[in-house]
Amino acid sequence: MEDIKINEKESIELIARMIKNTQNQFEENLGTPFLVWGYGTTLLSFLIWWLFQLTGNYNWQFLWFILPTVGITGSYLSNRNHPKRVKSYIDRVVDYIWLVFGSSGFIMSCISMFIWSIPILFIILLLMGMGTTLTGLVIKHKVVTICGALGTLSSLCCLFTPGLNQYIPFGLAFIIMMIIPGHVLNRAAVKQKIM
Amino acid sequence: MFKELDPLLHSQLRLAVMSILISVEEADFVYLREKTEATAGNLSVQIDKLNEAGYITVEKSFVGKKPRTTCRITTEGYKAFEEYVEALKSYIAP
Repeated sequence: MEDIKINEKESIELIARMIKNTQNQFEENLGTPFLVWGYGTTLLSFLIWWLFQLTGNYNWQFLWFILPTVGITGSYLSNRNHPKRVKSYIDRVVDYIWLVFGSSGFIMSCISMFIWSIPILFIILLLMGMGTTLTGLVIKHKVVTICGALGTLSSLCCLFTPGLNQYIPFGLAFIIMMIIPGHVLNRAAVKQKIM
Repeated sequence: MFKELDPLLHSQLRLAVMSILISVEEADFVYLREKTEATAGNLSVQIDKLNEAGYITVEKSFVGKKPRTTCRITTEGYKAFEEYVEALKSYIAP
């Protein structure tokens, strides 16, 4: 493309083509935050469950506070290594979704640990499942939407599983809700780049 | 009656840049070059012209050790683009 004059019809076509080109773009590392938080949560939930089985000590639950550090550091490093070349309105909406759901999850976890005993794993799965479903709907990606909805539904498993055994369905739900969508999104971005 | 077309926008490359920036919040130089398939030198000149006219803002920063140029459309740019499209309609409409 060069600095040349075009006629009116060409102008209209050019505007339409450029706008279309910017739609439905999957950024290279869109799925990486899902993978960082998904793998982090799944591994930690299985680790805490295993340590509890081994020792019977409930204090292993405080290991959850490692997760925000791992998640935030991982997301920061991923953004630094693959900076976003373009930011759309959809990106902003997705950022807000996770800001709201992520901070709600963190606040509820703190309340559950220190103030009031609530079915926190159920609540976290519900929140994160809704976050993933909304993300899928906003970016118009069926797999992400379905995985998010399955994650939301699987939150019920935590309500009906006794004690710390809840960590098993909790960890498995994160595989469906975050790890699978993360890999699918990254693969879609690579595929789009090749095309 | 034909309306006058903004000469700054009535150029292939500058119009392409504006059309991209109208549909996103911000885009970096590499992205714009990839989408417009323009040469770096030519794109850089056209971005400067749009920036001087106040249609876009250009922010230069570093990501690690790599320089990064980010462009955003301004309110004035939106208005100019809108007026350009309205003017185009007068040419296209039967």
